[in-house]
Amino acid sequence: MKLTTLKLNGLRKKTIAVSAALAVASLSLVSLTAGAASNPGFVLYSAQGYDQQAVDAFNATHPGFTVTLKDDSTGPLLTDVQAEGNNPKWGALWVDGAIPFAHLDQIGMLVKNSAPKVAFNTLGKANLPADGSFSPTGVTETGVLCYDTAQVSASNLPSKWTDLLTTQYALGMNDPSVSGPTFPLIAGVFSKLSNLPFNATTAQVKAAITKGEAFYQNIAQKTQGGLVVNPTNGVTLGAMQNQAVGMATIQGSACYSKTLGSYKTLGEKYLDASMELPGVIGIDAKMPAIVRADAAKFVAWLYTPAGQLAMRTGDPTGDSLFWPVVGSTLANPIIPNITTTNPYAINPYTWAPYETQINNWFDSNFVG
Amino acid sequence: MNVIKAKSFTENGLDTRRKFSFGSIGVWTALFLLIGAPVLCFLTLGVSPRLFQQGPEWFTLKYVHEAFQGFAGRAIFNSLWVATVVSIFAVSIATSMAWVIHRTNIGARRFWAVAMWLLLLLPTWMMTLGWTDLLQPVGGLQALGINCSYIYHEFFGPLGIVVVLTTAALPFSYFIITAGLQGLGPEFEDAARIHGANKIQTFKTVLPIISPAILSAIAVSFAETISDFGVADTLGYHAHFPLATFILFKAISSYPANFSVAAVVAAVLILSIVPPITLQSRVMRKNTFAVLSGRTRTPRVREFRKGPRVLATTIVATVFVVAIGVPVLGAVMTSFISGQSFYGGHLHLTLLYYREIFNPPSAGKSLGTPLLLSDQLGFVVASCTGAFAVVMARRLVTKVGGLSQRITDIFLLGSIAIPGVVLAIGYIFFYNLSFITHHVINLYETLPLLIIALIASSLPGQTRFMAGPVSQIQPSLSEAARVHGAGRFTAWRTTNLPLMSRVLLWGWLLTFTKTISELAIATILFPPSQEPASVTIQNYLANFNTGAGTAMTVMTLLEMLGIIVIALGIYRLVTPRGWRRIGWRGIQS
Repeated sequence: MKLTTLKLNGLRKKTIAVSAALAVASLSLVSLTAGAASNPGFVLYSAQGYDQQAVDAFNATHPGFTVTLKDDSTGPLLTDVQAEGNNPKWGALWVDGAIPFAHLDQIGMLVKNSAPKVAFNTLGKANLPADGSFSPTGVTETGVLCYDTAQVSASNLPSKWTDLLTTQYALGMNDPSVSGPTFPLIAGVFSKLSNLPFNATTAQVKAAITKGEAFYQNIAQKTQGGLVVNPTNGVTLGAMQNQAVGMATIQGSACYSKTLGSYKTLGEKYLDASMELPGVIGIDAKMPAIVRADAAKFVAWLYTPAGQLAMRTGDPTGDSLFWPVVGSTLANPIIPNITTTNPYAINPYTWAPYETQINNWFDSNFVG
Repeated sequence: MNVIKAKSFTENGLDTRRKFSFGSIGVWTALFLLIGAPVLCFLTLGVSPRLFQQGPEWFTLKYVHEAFQGFAGRAIFNSLWVATVVSIFAVSIATSMAWVIHRTNIGARRFWAVAMWLLLLLPTWMMTLGWTDLLQPVGGLQALGINCSYIYHEFFGPLGIVVVLTTAALPFSYFIITAGLQGLGPEFEDAARIHGANKIQTFKTVLPIISPAILSAIAVSFAETISDFGVADTLGYHAHFPLATFILFKAISSYPANFSVAAVVAAVLILSIVPPITLQSRVMRKNTFAVLSGRTRTPRVREFRKGPRVLATTIVATVFVVAIGVPVLGAVMTSFISGQSFYGGHLHLTLLYYREIFNPPSAGKSLGTPLLLSDQLGFVVASCTGAFAVVMARRLVTKVGGLSQRITDIFLLGSIAIPGVVLAIGYIFFYNLSFITHHVINLYETLPLLIIALIASSLPGQTRFMAGPVSQIQPSLSEAARVHGAGRFTAWRTTNLPLMSRVLLWGWLLTFTKTISELAIATILFPPSQEPASVTIQNYLANFNTGAGTAMTVMTLLEMLGIIVIALGIYRLVTPRGWRRIGWRGIQS
């Protein structure tokens, strides 16, 4: 029997028609982007919780070009940036932490003097590099002691970093090779324990690393499971909720956000140093001039009242809980005055060369 | 056979007069662009980082040395022994289950065959999520007042890793061994029994006959296990039990990234598949296993008495409860239990997380658009992979393929061992080469490149999945059609297509669902503003929004099941009744 002569009934024909329509609709994915426009705009690689709101607000008021957002976690974005190498696709990169930007600056990937000429406040000036190759857009803090009142007594919590050596509770923290804010935390702790000057010498840094490594080894050996390491802020908070650990040094904005949310027994305490973690944006030096100019317009817009509003309101229980770096813009009233938190700044250019070495040491001792 | 050779046709109707046909060149070019070039680019970094501006050395072996030191070396060792143990467990359990389900009268045989398909569709990260949701100290069982801390601590270690990976490898082994069992008529069992063998001796006599299927299942299970990232990233990390894929991921995702060490680890993973393939080849060369013939009789079903039947049914049911029931139950429970339940001492059920799926809190993302995009991706990837896999499967089973066929076989099996993250990073290094983006085609950061990478990821498994059913089609069918004047495509459409329609459908569904749940490639290659569902879900889970993330996982699973039901319905409506009676059966009883 020849199959081609089989008769299809009406329902079968309709089904085939609908299936074919679905197929054609899906095949539209295969089409490539149309040819380059006169101003192609740029792609923003961002890990900020409020980035979508900021980009939407900017695109709505700036019709000349379009900012296209690639929103992801810091790790995958930095992987893309490094794998793309000398043929990058990002016009601007916007993530927490200045250390990757210091490294990108050192290998010539960032536009020098790209920081907009705005009235940075003291916090902004402290996190602005001398060559203006990247710009702080807001500051959060890492190394905030986040704790679960159901497991630990607030009166027994440590007040100083060195108190962690004697406290009865295990300490949770993130893995620096997975979590963006954690290497700045470790670098800050190493720096604080040795009271390093901002522009420390190589010998001073190496001595501080030796002392700092011994400090974490002692915490880990204090009791069995004295140091509980998880990949990121979210997983560490999950471990705290699971009562695997009662307190952890993580990014403060993650701790506040849960105080506002469903984790009612969460609290935060500031030790004698909370490491400043600026949200940072930098412009790709390998891009054509028109793209760099577009990116510069977007960066400048972030410091306008409209830009600051989008950043402050875009992620009200998460990344929007930052301290502003321009003028007299007010922070969200949920977070305390930064002067009460013992802010501590590290020099990203000093610590960038040691990131691989310290992360490898950490993995070998506390992860594997 | 001589007559067929004289006509220069293989048993599957392929013309062998030209050693290097345009078709062969086309296939190998496609394989090179899909898998070969990106993976080679990545592996080259292991010894020559400067070639891709990732270091100062043109040639060095220092990263090879580094990859076998301390933490990384331990992870490679762990991966090798876990993959070995898992492949042995998976194949042992699968062989027993295949025999019990297909050769005995245990209860609900058709249901178990369906359950095996569901297990195949469940990604390991979803399995781990379900287990974690259920067992963790603030989890589903605790909300119900059940203390499971002992099981929790045992499970979050090598034991849990082996359990989850064995359940993940089980369906691959099961389907391969089931295909092998089908060619095994009752005459061999009868011969053994006539010569006085008891049931166990009969089983031991018959087992070597299906050793090609068993060895193939071991190789595939080993490759699937050693390349798995979902378990390594979750259970492995928390248990302080590093696995190679996690080390690879860490080397890539650190800043500054160490692509060279990652490349060496990837090379070790790919090379580790060589021993199972070699073993399979040696056994196949030493013996002959040709038991299939036109006179192979329908296998006889063993009739258990009531007691053994209940026992066998219970054991099979237990395997599925552990493999599917526990993780799905864990995910579903967590998606309905309010976080307040863990503090107030009372169970609070809520639909809040399901509302958040489509009406997320201020900074969150709705699942709607990403899921629609994933469906579209799944449709295109499954359709393209299916078409290509048929071509590859035909090449794989051709009887006169010679060296080219063996290379294809090894290439495809080795490709199964390539972790998704390696393929994705390889795609960046190759398709973002300045020469290619400026002078050939600029695909990087577009959906077509993501589609191509997903096809490359699915093709090896899909080809091996189709190879069995394709090999069972008698070549005389298409030869007869050709003799009567049909062109090559018409001959295939009117003879092979009806026989293959069901394997094409189930292969399509397998790739479709795997594409929706795929995470490693999607995370790295998704274009700006076009995020697939798996990435959205993972972002929720990683940011301590477990309730919403789990509800999204459950919703995605339900959507997959819905698509399967719709696709099967369309198949039933569109195809002639005869097509559903012949050829390979996806669900056999």
